[in-house]
Amino acid sequence: MTTVEQVALVGAGVDRIDGPLKVTGAAHYPNDFTFPNLAHAALVRSTVAAGRISRLDTSAAQAAPGVLAVITHENAPSLGHAPDTFLSAPPPPLQDDRILHHGQYLAVVVAGTAEQATAAARLVEADYEPAEPVIDIHDPRAERLTDPWGMDTRRGDAQAALASAEVRFEATYTTADNTNNPLGLFATVAAWDGDALTVHDATQWPGYVRTALARVFQVPESGVRVLAPFVGGGFGAGLRAWPHVILAALAARTVGRPVKLVLTRPEMFTGIGHRTATEQRVRIGAAREGRLVAIDHESTTTLQMEGDNLEPCAAGTAAAYACPNVSTRDQQVRLNIAWCNSMRGPGEAQGNFALESAMDELSYALGIDPLDLRLRNYAENHPQLGLPWSSKALRECYEVGAERFGWSRRTPQPGSMRDGDWLIGYGLAGVSFFWYQPPCQAGATLRRDGTALVRSAVTDIGTGTYTVMTQLSAELLGLDLEQVTFELGDSDLPPGAQAGGSGLTAGLGSAVHAACRDLVRAFLDMVRDDPTSPLAGCGVDEVTVAGGRIHRTGTPQRGESYTDILAAHGLEELTAGGASTPADPQELGLAPAGPFGARFVEVRVDPDLGLLRVARIVSVIDAGRILNEKTATSQIIGGTVGGIGMAMFEETVTDAKTGRIANATFGDYLIPVNADVPDMEVIFVGRPDRFNPIGVKGVGEIGLVGVAAAIANAVHHATGRRIRSLPITIDQLF
Amino acid sequence: MAQDVVHSQTSVPRVGVTLTVNGVDHRLDLDSRVTLLDALRDALELTGTKKGCDQGACGACTVMADGRRILSCLTLAAQCEGREITTVEGLAAGGALHPVQEAFVRHDAFQCGYCTSGQIMSAVCLLAERRAGSDADIREFMSGNLCRCGAYPNIVAAIREVAGAGGGDA
Repeated sequence: MTTVEQVALVGAGVDRIDGPLKVTGAAHYPNDFTFPNLAHAALVRSTVAAGRISRLDTSAAQAAPGVLAVITHENAPSLGHAPDTFLSAPPPPLQDDRILHHGQYLAVVVAGTAEQATAAARLVEADYEPAEPVIDIHDPRAERLTDPWGMDTRRGDAQAALASAEVRFEATYTTADNTNNPLGLFATVAAWDGDALTVHDATQWPGYVRTALARVFQVPESGVRVLAPFVGGGFGAGLRAWPHVILAALAARTVGRPVKLVLTRPEMFTGIGHRTATEQRVRIGAAREGRLVAIDHESTTTLQMEGDNLEPCAAGTAAAYACPNVSTRDQQVRLNIAWCNSMRGPGEAQGNFALESAMDELSYALGIDPLDLRLRNYAENHPQLGLPWSSKALRECYEVGAERFGWSRRTPQPGSMRDGDWLIGYGLAGVSFFWYQPPCQAGATLRRDGTALVRSAVTDIGTGTYTVMTQLSAELLGLDLEQVTFELGDSDLPPGAQAGGSGLTAGLGSAVHAACRDLVRAFLDMVRDDPTSPLAGCGVDEVTVAGGRIHRTGTPQRGESYTDILAAHGLEELTAGGASTPADPQELGLAPAGPFGARFVEVRVDPDLGLLRVARIVSVIDAGRILNEKTATSQIIGGTVGGIGMAMFEETVTDAKTGRIANATFGDYLIPVNADVPDMEVIFVGRPDRFNPIGVKGVGEIGLVGVAAAIANAVHHATGRRIRSLPITIDQLF
Repeated sequence: MAQDVVHSQTSVPRVGVTLTVNGVDHRLDLDSRVTLLDALRDALELTGTKKGCDQGACGACTVMADGRRILSCLTLAAQCEGREITTVEGLAAGGALHPVQEAFVRHDAFQCGYCTSGQIMSAVCLLAERRAGSDADIREFMSGNLCRCGAYPNIVAAIREVAGAGGGDA
């Protein structure tokens, strides 16, 4: 069968399979679904951040027109706890009177129409026994967790090497809370039939939501079906089964009717997680000629009062550079804030900002070009594991990027480049993204009409999974694209991995590879002992698939079509399943590599008018084999736009006294708009990765990482102002 | 206070309205609070028009009313008697994609697709208004439509292509 060495690094930029549905409004997102006799739910949220509910008066709400039920902690049934994954599950809602954050759900109101539910929800009155909330990252009362995931790293002796270094640099960087804010309002539509439950949900992981709901309601998992054929973005927000998902199902069970619950935009700020604020101290020791001798990176992130959040900001620094003495430490402080959760590039996005800003600062302290400094400390092998990378073309990223961007035109002195009234700044950042691959399963079926159906319970949150898996399946089965259907977004399909951690394409792709390979093997098994078949006795490694046929490699005429084999055996179809688990690094002798990238940014600053504009961005990415140039480029562009947001706009503002989010609307929480975003160039380099059979690495998150540091470094180059606090706002600049 | 609100609750009037959507008249009897967006989505089951904020800040609910783009989340259904409403479902005449829809697919001008209906409706109006003369104009006049996936450069490329080919009046 085809191996990755035989295919082009960058696959054809096929238009999205689901494109026509999306441009005609025919793609159905969770809140587009309805059921007969549908009721609607609206939420009531806490207006304090800590304490207890002393009184809830629901009488007016219950008497309001159309109201079917008002569910609070006083009348809610006892609910089970969903299982933890790599992220802890939020506890089930409405189980007691404790308030842990502003915006916590106090009640769900169910009524015949959405208008009735919303109006009645406003009638629920709550009194509190408030407590003094812990809101500030520096509050001495806050519980502090050290090494929360056992990911702290240590090699050599960073403290001693810092003490004796020729040049020492130290700075503290901060990043703001950001909110995922997918455009699609998270929605759950739930319908019970006895103990069976059907749910349309904005999730990145239908199989997990199924398990979670089965546990919470203590019903058989086989009767729970979670559907998400299209999701209006997630960026990590869809990786947990949030309280509103449970409340929708609870509401439906309570009123005995299907229920739709759509979060409002303000509820999207408190109900589905957010990227945590960070405070990071980076200390670097170097020799005068630019060799790093020590890096010490300590990060503190914020955390909600209960449960965990995986947000390693410092840990990634250990693998970024060839430096003999490194110490990284991650800490968290618990606050009365809404749940913290993954947001595109969790941990890496903030950690990279600190490290790559510090490297830029060090380059000025040493008088060495920032690109040069990075190349002098290039990690040829994985510096922590001591193994060769499964793939790494970061050097090529730097070199190609510098060439395309015109880095050599840069004059190092800050403020030295101008264009009329505009100060021009060039900045760059390197990115070494973490590796991750989840286990995944897929099924593949070939049918008598020559078409194939390949399936897995995954989601396509806009990344292009429908399209790239159709392409991959067609390639692995030797079919045309039009002959392959890839089905996803249904928990009844073979168990799929989450769309998260930039690992889906590798995990799912490897499962599809296994399924297709097993399917071809199943066809060969059928003809193995058939003396009339040209494929008799052939093993799967001795054949090639093309044009709907299997043939002996090297002799295309000696083969048979799938349909002929099926017909000869009187079969309508043949199905095989495939599963993937990540390889063992020690067994392979390779350090599994995530994607790498180099980001080159030009900013323009008008000091008289107080304007900061991103003028252009060149991104060169090593993500192994690229299955679809068009959708992969879109992932990098989209991530970069997110990075512009993190760098220049996005800040979830929490009122220091009350814990209320003060800007929980799209009018107040700024994200990049079209006019904020320049054209950008995206180039893919490298070779297929050696850690999985299809040679891919993830492209979903790396696009965001590095943008903030590159912009901050460019701002310094343009103005001489070093901004160590995101977002970079005009008031910090002038 | 709560009593007053309850009182107003019980007396929410209903309103009869004829909505003309994509050339078809629909006689509806609605709660007077129902927005055009919710009437389209819930009463007429035209779910192509999306709700991204319900506050007039994201543009996902953009539809055409008498040829002008409006935010259907900030428009009450009762205000739309006698107005010609066009939604994304009304663009692909006879099954053939509108040039803007085609260009969006070709240029990968969307990812999750949730903002796409609003982007396309704005783009169609922008072209009709002859405001797509330059990339800077396209960027400026499309800035009322948020895209969290960050497809902006591809959206500009798609509109630029249709504008260059004569403006998508086809």
